[in-house]
Amino acid sequence: MTTAPSDAGSWPSNLMVDGLAVSKQATPESFDEVSEILRGANARGDAVIPFGGGTQLGLGNIPSAGDIALNLSKLDQVVIYEPDDLTISVQAGCRIDDLNGLLAEHGQMLPFEVARPQDATIGGAYATGISGPRRFGHGSMRDLVIGITAVSPSGEIARAGGMVVKNVSGYDMMRLHYGALGSMGVILQLNFKVLPKPPAQRTVVVRFGELSDAIEAALGVRESQLSPTAIVVLDEGGARAAGVDVAPWTLLLRAEGPEDAAAQQTARLREATRVGALGSDVLGDAATDALWRGANTLLSAAPEESGIGIRLGMPASQASEIAEQLLATTGGGSATRRLSLDFGNGLLFAQVGVDTEPIDELRTLWERVRTLGSHATLLTAPPDVKRDIDVFGAEPAGFGLMRALKQQFDPSGTLNRGRFIGRL
Amino acid sequence: MAQPAVVAQLEAALGRDSVLSNPSELTVYEYDGSDEALAGSHRPDVVVLPQTAQQVQQVVKIARAMGMPVTARGGGTGLAGGAIAVQGGILVALTKMDRILEINTRDRYALVEPGLINLDLSQTTSRDGYFFAPDPSSQRACTIGGNVANNSGGPHCLKYGVTVNHILGLEVVLPDGELLWVGGPSPDVPGVDLTGILVGSEGTLGIVTKAMVRLTRSPEATDVLLAAFPSIEAASSAVSAIIAAGVLPTALEMMDALTITAVESAYHAGYPRDAAAVLLIEIDGLLEVVAENTRLISVICEQQEATEVRVASTQEERDLLWLGRKAALGAMGRLAPNYYLQDTVVPRTKLPVTLQRVEEISKDYKLPVANVFHAGDGNLHPLILFDRHKPGDIERVLHAGTEMIHWCIEVGGAVSGEHGIGLEKKDFLPLVFTTEDLAAMAGLKLSFDPLQLFNPEKVFPSGFSCGEVSALRQQALAARLGIDFV
Repeated sequence: MTTAPSDAGSWPSNLMVDGLAVSKQATPESFDEVSEILRGANARGDAVIPFGGGTQLGLGNIPSAGDIALNLSKLDQVVIYEPDDLTISVQAGCRIDDLNGLLAEHGQMLPFEVARPQDATIGGAYATGISGPRRFGHGSMRDLVIGITAVSPSGEIARAGGMVVKNVSGYDMMRLHYGALGSMGVILQLNFKVLPKPPAQRTVVVRFGELSDAIEAALGVRESQLSPTAIVVLDEGGARAAGVDVAPWTLLLRAEGPEDAAAQQTARLREATRVGALGSDVLGDAATDALWRGANTLLSAAPEESGIGIRLGMPASQASEIAEQLLATTGGGSATRRLSLDFGNGLLFAQVGVDTEPIDELRTLWERVRTLGSHATLLTAPPDVKRDIDVFGAEPAGFGLMRALKQQFDPSGTLNRGRFIGRL
Repeated sequence: MAQPAVVAQLEAALGRDSVLSNPSELTVYEYDGSDEALAGSHRPDVVVLPQTAQQVQQVVKIARAMGMPVTARGGGTGLAGGAIAVQGGILVALTKMDRILEINTRDRYALVEPGLINLDLSQTTSRDGYFFAPDPSSQRACTIGGNVANNSGGPHCLKYGVTVNHILGLEVVLPDGELLWVGGPSPDVPGVDLTGILVGSEGTLGIVTKAMVRLTRSPEATDVLLAAFPSIEAASSAVSAIIAAGVLPTALEMMDALTITAVESAYHAGYPRDAAAVLLIEIDGLLEVVAENTRLISVICEQQEATEVRVASTQEERDLLWLGRKAALGAMGRLAPNYYLQDTVVPRTKLPVTLQRVEEISKDYKLPVANVFHAGDGNLHPLILFDRHKPGDIERVLHAGTEMIHWCIEVGGAVSGEHGIGLEKKDFLPLVFTTEDLAAMAGLKLSFDPLQLFNPEKVFPSGFSCGEVSALRQQALAARLGIDFV
């Protein structure tokens, strides 16, 4: 069903964003319909909140207005897929699991990790720019994107890039929209280079009693010539999420490749991480998928009522220091904690929940934590925690340019008003 | 000629030795690696050789006050005229800023100045077992700043990706004179991905004064295969078969008979002279993976009628095979006085039919074409050989080149894969992009450079005015920033 923004009353449901009820919802089925909806909203001064699977609506500052929720989930077609070219062009509303289901039929994959791949859309994942640990081996969406189609708030549809794996023709407009929360335009279609799916995969699970031993092991692997595609250290809460035996600290190493090579690398990875370890296991193909789906729930930016999710930039050389300080900050009483230290890429994900008097405690926690790493994002928090803070951390260098870009690409502030960095 | 007042200001800021304004000194800066007869040449009014970011900043402020265009230049090896000062003005040559400031292997980055030669970086970091992955064939002369400007590729980007995948952060001087640091050692810095936007913007949005580049761990094992084929078709089929088999080599390069002749005459790299085409295939990674993939690829090549498959496992053997490939452009002098190099990309399955078309065009125009290119990426480099002093050659070359580009676009390809648009390819962009597409790109330009002083007349097609398409937006911007547009 297509619903034009003018016939109010027939809207299917209210979308809630940080406690703000968006009364109208539009579910366009074509690019032209998106154009039309945006043009109308832009002219009226309405604020539009685009969304795909609705799995990461916790990310962003509290919207200063929300008149229309733009549901892109019906734009879910695969536009071009030529397996032998190793490229694919998909509409923004395509779900990540569906896409990988199709690719797997041809022995290919897009190695993107998000919290709920069964619901999350490719456009939403690109706009939020949150990536899991496997990008260490295969690259992130930012690395694999080769083209984009986006629509401006005034309704103009523009493309950039193309369907070839190397391209320097014109500006890379893909860059403008990566992690920009749909505030510079609404993403309609994305093109990616796809990868051959490795014939075999294993995960080495190494348990440690001491964080320092786990970090040493992770750094040792990272600096070796072994080539795991993900290197992650989890705390107890993280291990529970991943569904592995709980130890104080768990190192996960993903090995992918030809069957024999994966098996041999597994043996070498176990050997390389023995020092200080309590024990280790190796998980096979299916168990590997299940484990990482669990572990990747730590990437979640879904709305939260009693907890917060944080992403920190964590250069490997500072991992110990950042982790120790984070533990000291989050150690207290009623808090539940889930931690994932992504050593391959230099990121830390933390989820902290509290039972009582959550707001002040969570806000204090964020204030303490946000300066620990090289950058910080509050991925999700109850609206009361978010009030008066910028969830994207301190105003970054280059904010003047970002403001100029917003002024250029969305001068009326139609898209995600107030939600992006610096409340753009 | 620059106004004496401008020269005096620049000399005061940079010192006399770092400012060139004598016509004879300016001559070498009229060109870059593109063919003058095709991309043109232009003498800058003044050339400056800054040694610090602050000096670059001062130059930009002087230029802005005087309304003079600013064009940045690295090694001058660009093939699309990107470093030519089309409107004169100030040319900022960054070759004196060539230091490695920091190597941090634990966090896997190097902090370098823009004038650093690409190969010098990897040679320095290889001692610790790391390298900078982008490796354009000009890597002995091109600079990191130039790589950033053009989002350069190279043979190894098949596995490792292009420059944008290897730039973590940048220090840039913006057109308003602000010195800005973007990005950092960890990915996904909140906010707009300014680092990603700046990479590949060909000096039209900012001038890089420092780059934080990703270092990649050297692989445990590397094999290079040389496979010889009796026909171009057989070699193309082998490329498709390797990609379809789900093996992604590190590099997958093709050279045709004409290239082999030139390379063998010049360097004796050991390519079989009787082959119609050779593939140079590199595989790296874990020992056991390399062994397995080398075996698999050898079998595929043999199935596709390879007459010889040779595996180079020692560093010396590998270097010799690569020397022939990397120096192929230089060897073309053995065949003809001039060449015109295209850089189109096609979807990989369109490679065989595209190579046939290139051969037809070569026959139609009676111009020999040598092919040496990144087959695994579908990135062609047909070299149209000619003699610029022969009447009519230049016109025929241009027509032949245009036909090749048209064909590649028709089969779903792109104008340039890694060399950039610059001056020389800008008028082909409307074949791929609509006015709306270009208008969105113009929005990026105007956000960074509302006065349009940085590298003018590049990237956008002739007659396309960034200002006109966004005149209203520009006025609004000007009012907000308090700028008067000249």
